[in-house]
Amino acid sequence: MAQNKTQYDFRSTLIDKKIVTTMNNGVIILDSELRIHHYNRWLEIHTHIKEKELLGEKLTDIFGEIKEKTLLRKIRTALRMHTPTYYTANTSHYLIPIKINQIENAHFSYMQQDVSIIPFDEQNKLVALILTDQTNMANTNALLAAYVKKIKELNEQLLKEKELTEIQHKQLLANSRSAAMGEMISMIAHQWRQPLSLITTLLANVKIKKELHTLDEKSMDDSFVKIDNTVKYLSETINDFRDYFKPNKVKLEVKLAELFNKSIFFLKDEMTQYNISYSLDIDDNLSVYTYKNELLQSIINIIKNSIDAFKTNDITEKKIGVTVKTLKHHISIIIEDNAGGIEHEIIEKIFEPYFSTKNKNGTGLGLYMCRVIIVEHLQGEISIESQNNGTKVTINLPKKI
Amino acid sequence: MNNLTLTEDEEDVLQELMNIAYGSATAVVADMLEAFASLSIPNIKIMTVNELLKTFHELKNASYFFSTQAFSGEFNGESAFFINEESARNLATHLELENREDLDDAILELTNVLTSSLTTKLAQEMETEVSFSLPNILKIPLEEMEGVETFQLYSRVIVIDTNLNFQDQKINGKIFILTKDESIQWLKTKLNTILDQLL
Repeated sequence: MAQNKTQYDFRSTLIDKKIVTTMNNGVIILDSELRIHHYNRWLEIHTHIKEKELLGEKLTDIFGEIKEKTLLRKIRTALRMHTPTYYTANTSHYLIPIKINQIENAHFSYMQQDVSIIPFDEQNKLVALILTDQTNMANTNALLAAYVKKIKELNEQLLKEKELTEIQHKQLLANSRSAAMGEMISMIAHQWRQPLSLITTLLANVKIKKELHTLDEKSMDDSFVKIDNTVKYLSETINDFRDYFKPNKVKLEVKLAELFNKSIFFLKDEMTQYNISYSLDIDDNLSVYTYKNELLQSIINIIKNSIDAFKTNDITEKKIGVTVKTLKHHISIIIEDNAGGIEHEIIEKIFEPYFSTKNKNGTGLGLYMCRVIIVEHLQGEISIESQNNGTKVTINLPKKI
Repeated sequence: MNNLTLTEDEEDVLQELMNIAYGSATAVVADMLEAFASLSIPNIKIMTVNELLKTFHELKNASYFFSTQAFSGEFNGESAFFINEESARNLATHLELENREDLDDAILELTNVLTSSLTTKLAQEMETEVSFSLPNILKIPLEEMEGVETFQLYSRVIVIDTNLNFQDQKINGKIFILTKDESIQWLKTKLNTILDQLL
């Protein structure tokens, strides 16, 4: 009996209507002509318009910015399908203009709304419009979109910078190649000076003897043989240089003792000129499987740096020493000199591109390229230290790459 | 038993039910757009998410607008609607829309109409009810879709795929109804009940 009484009470309080009135959403009941049949309290509060002023009025007459055609289509479709149709805050933003005065994250001046158009009374062609406040969600979305945009911009910037660095890197490589070419020409010039003067002397001798009529067949032949040998030597020098300065495409088994002899051969003229003695402590059979000419280029570069250091520092007993140690998977090449060493502040920058202590004579690319070659191409390591008035360069290379 | 494939009989019944649902959906869409619409006979497949994503991958070449809508109930899942740029433009002209947001809204409406009318009718035939969430237009490029985690929630999907075609207006769309394992199981039970009644 008590239960029946309760059920009766529920009906008598018109619970449905009360819920609609008190719920935390906007509810409008419209007919198919857009006339207002109900306007709940939530909407009254938010729009500052009383329901009694609106009943029977056309919704689009009250809110002029609503697109009548679209709303009519959505209502017609909802009634026809017997299921809801929608406006979403994401695309339509709002149906009923409700000004908001949010201070924080205020991306929007009007409340962003999801609107469901629910077929309510199909016989009388009534629909219920349920408005849900989605401003917070929309704010978050807008914020997110702004961040995504920002990230995309930063990413693009990063890619551009990376591209630029790659271009610069390529430019550096090209520059260093021209620099190496220049060095090569200067080394050839050194190598050629003596044989060329030998040829000049021999020719002068022949000429003098001819004028004095003392030129016999034998001395002429001797001179020609000598000239011929010297010219051959010049030609070989050119070939050697050309072969050794072409970058290798294939890896080879490289005998280290041979490689160092070759590098000394290219530099010995200058070493003799400046009274520099050298020592090699390398096992004749020791070899690595790597790119031969790249390694040679790096070694010449390092030894050339030692020679250049001797030119500016007056040292009595000038020495360059090379030692190669073999480890389990690596070999360690140590090139030492006693040319005065490097200042502590400079040593940290020594592998940076365009860093040079040689004023106008240096490109600042030599040691940078050594590091690029050894680390990136030969998969090794290079370090430099200055001690006891000398410099010690250590190159660690894998026995095989 | 966890057999998630449809037998030939089950597929026949589902095809029949879908044909009925499509009949009603076509009428509603035609009404909404005040134009003559036709829907191709739906193609029903059960596939893995990976296979589905591959299908979607092929659709991306034509720069599709992509929208989704979830539906819940005993039979639940999500619908995915693709429409290419040209069709979307034609839809905008046909509905005399003024801007991009109105077009997005119209695409969502079309998604909703198709999803609702299809699944409601299908549910009705299977004596159950469905409820719909708000449709959503996905504004991310399709090639990034594999990264969308919600999509990965569906391990196996039943794909009901059809082409929407408004000949005079040159509007074509493709809709997929996607449901996952438990719904497929439920669907199989329902289809078998209907089969039993037929015999």
